[in-house]
Amino acid sequence: MNDLVILCAAGMLLTAYLMVGQKALFVAIRLYGLQSILLGVVAAATAFTDHRPHLLESAALTIGLKGVLIPWFLMRTIDRIGIHREIEPFVNTPSSLLICLGLTVVGYRVSTGLAAGGEGAAHHVIGVSLSMLLMGLFLMVTRRKAVTQILALLTIENAVFLVAVGATSGMPLVVELGISFDVIVAVLVLGILVRRIVDRFESMDVSRLSKLKG
Amino acid sequence: VTPLLWTLLAPLVTALLGVLPAPRWIKEAGLVGGLAVTLVLSIGTAGGFLAGSTASAFDHALRVDGLSALVLVLSALVGLLSGAYSVGYLRRNDARGLVSPWRRREFDALVPLYVFAMLLVSVSNNLGILWIAVELTTLVSVFLVAFHNRDTSLEAAWKFLVLGSLGLAFALLGTVLLFASGRGVLGEGMSGLHWTRLVALAPELHPLTLKLGVVFALVGYGTKAGLAPMHTWKPDAYREAPSPAGVLMAVGMLNGALYCLLRVHLIAKAALGPAFSGGLLLGLGLLSVAVATPFILIQWNLKRLLAYSSVEHVGIMALGVGLGAEAATFGALLHMTYHTLAKPLAFFSAGTLAQLHRSSDFDEIGPGTLGRAPVASALFILAAVIMTGSPPFGLFFSELTILKAGFAGPHTAAVGVFLACLVLLFCGFFYQVGRLVLGAQPAAPPRPAPDPERFDAGGAVTLAAAALAVVSAFYLPRGLLALVHAAVRVVEGGQ
Repeated sequence: MNDLVILCAAGMLLTAYLMVGQKALFVAIRLYGLQSILLGVVAAATAFTDHRPHLLESAALTIGLKGVLIPWFLMRTIDRIGIHREIEPFVNTPSSLLICLGLTVVGYRVSTGLAAGGEGAAHHVIGVSLSMLLMGLFLMVTRRKAVTQILALLTIENAVFLVAVGATSGMPLVVELGISFDVIVAVLVLGILVRRIVDRFESMDVSRLSKLKG
Repeated sequence: VTPLLWTLLAPLVTALLGVLPAPRWIKEAGLVGGLAVTLVLSIGTAGGFLAGSTASAFDHALRVDGLSALVLVLSALVGLLSGAYSVGYLRRNDARGLVSPWRRREFDALVPLYVFAMLLVSVSNNLGILWIAVELTTLVSVFLVAFHNRDTSLEAAWKFLVLGSLGLAFALLGTVLLFASGRGVLGEGMSGLHWTRLVALAPELHPLTLKLGVVFALVGYGTKAGLAPMHTWKPDAYREAPSPAGVLMAVGMLNGALYCLLRVHLIAKAALGPAFSGGLLLGLGLLSVAVATPFILIQWNLKRLLAYSSVEHVGIMALGVGLGAEAATFGALLHMTYHTLAKPLAFFSAGTLAQLHRSSDFDEIGPGTLGRAPVASALFILAAVIMTGSPPFGLFFSELTILKAGFAGPHTAAVGVFLACLVLLFCGFFYQVGRLVLGAQPAAPPRPAPDPERFDAGGAVTLAAAALAVVSAFYLPRGLLALVHAAVRVVEGGQ
């Protein structure tokens, strides 16, 4: 079981790397979906090893909402607005990947200091999640397309959930339900905004949103 | 159903009724009436607390202590003022054909929903519910910022949502790490995230995990509060949001976010001593005051000016709490109270000026507004006098309290910088107000010609806000002062 947890956590890190190296938006969205499903598997496996049945419910929630519903909604959004590719990011792909490698090292280093982060599977899970958090932040500041920024935010959100699973075996269920619901609503709101922005600016290049300064 | 739950239900019901189509006067009466009932119920709940009964619900997930009661009453008060001002504001826009019935229904639902979220923040004893409520305020305000649907509103709404969500992701990580620092002693159920439980078990928390969690939570909720350097959404959002919504963000969200910062600070204080999170708050607060100074000096827009003033004030509050002395804490919470009582006047008078001139940019308003809109301009000068902390008004007194406590303590250098910034801010603010309000009338009238100022519903509410700001400086109701003292006792750890 522990091996499965580590394998899935590693898979999540891999999807994050692929997302950084990716320009086609629909592939990036699928990668996010895959990442969320892996997160669900990590949660489910932890539920069995730690005997915490309520984690199963959040695992199902994660797979259903983040693995299926949100990717479907984002796919529909880019279909509607007809934009499929990320333009050249502010930092090119090879240097992006190198920077992310550095961020992974930092994430792992920090994880060793945490209460649960010293040993076993938890060490890897927390290391991966902190790395993903940093990579999400990196994606957010270097990409121009609105949908990519949403994906970066969602990656950070997944990373936070992974910390919750790795470091605490999950938050209280009520709280997780509320948080998942809020994430869904946030994505819906973001989607609505993207559509309005595209209607207005005929582009979803957020670097054009630069009238407000000072 | 306890009085506490009624307090939370009232704005929720108002929001639901706001969605329904109805003639204009019924909608206006419903909105203002619902928010007035909310205020009365909040005062009742706070009064109950002062009388000695501790209100709580859902197994202590919601709980009213001194700090909660103070923020609860202030939030409900701002909600009512905002709702009342929106009547006149929407009527003026209605006369220009800018408010479709659908937009009005959207507005009538969003404002009470926002008030509900603020009240929920102020009574949450559970860090998870606290996070959910703050996220709710963010989602609601995105629609309020984008309300006018201009290019710039969409830009502001996008920046606000992305930065806000990022801040909230940090706050969530902070919450997770705080929970993780318990290593099982907190228990698994809902009560594991109760603030009271975390404070009670503080000595047993894992220090490094806790520290990391506190940093993330402070940065996250600091983003919502608009502490520098996470304040960059604020000027954009304030410029684009309709004035009644602007005041909800400038006071309501600010108080709510400060409440979250205080709760996190208190956990850290109980576990690690006051220096760690206090130092962080002191640094962020001082940075906010310092960052606001140049931007106020070079400002080109009326509402952005108010936004930087708001960055300044939240900085002052964070600094006061961060100093750690009991007198400084009292000053900070008193500052929050007076700020809440004074800020609506600034927003309403500035909002009227902007609305009459159809823009809030200085260039488009043109100098010499005193000749064109004398009442609103005079009230804006009054607001500027109060907001810059001039005597004899309340903010002067609270700033003086913080300064006095600060110079007595170990952080005299920081307080010295703070004082210098305050002086510069005072000059900068009056430079801007002077050139806008008192400057010579432009040779050619601004185009399109501004509407003449009329005494309408919006004007009446602005006058009421002025009365509130002035009277409260000389007579703070005894109950409110008792709430401030009760909140200080919570922050100082005496419950």
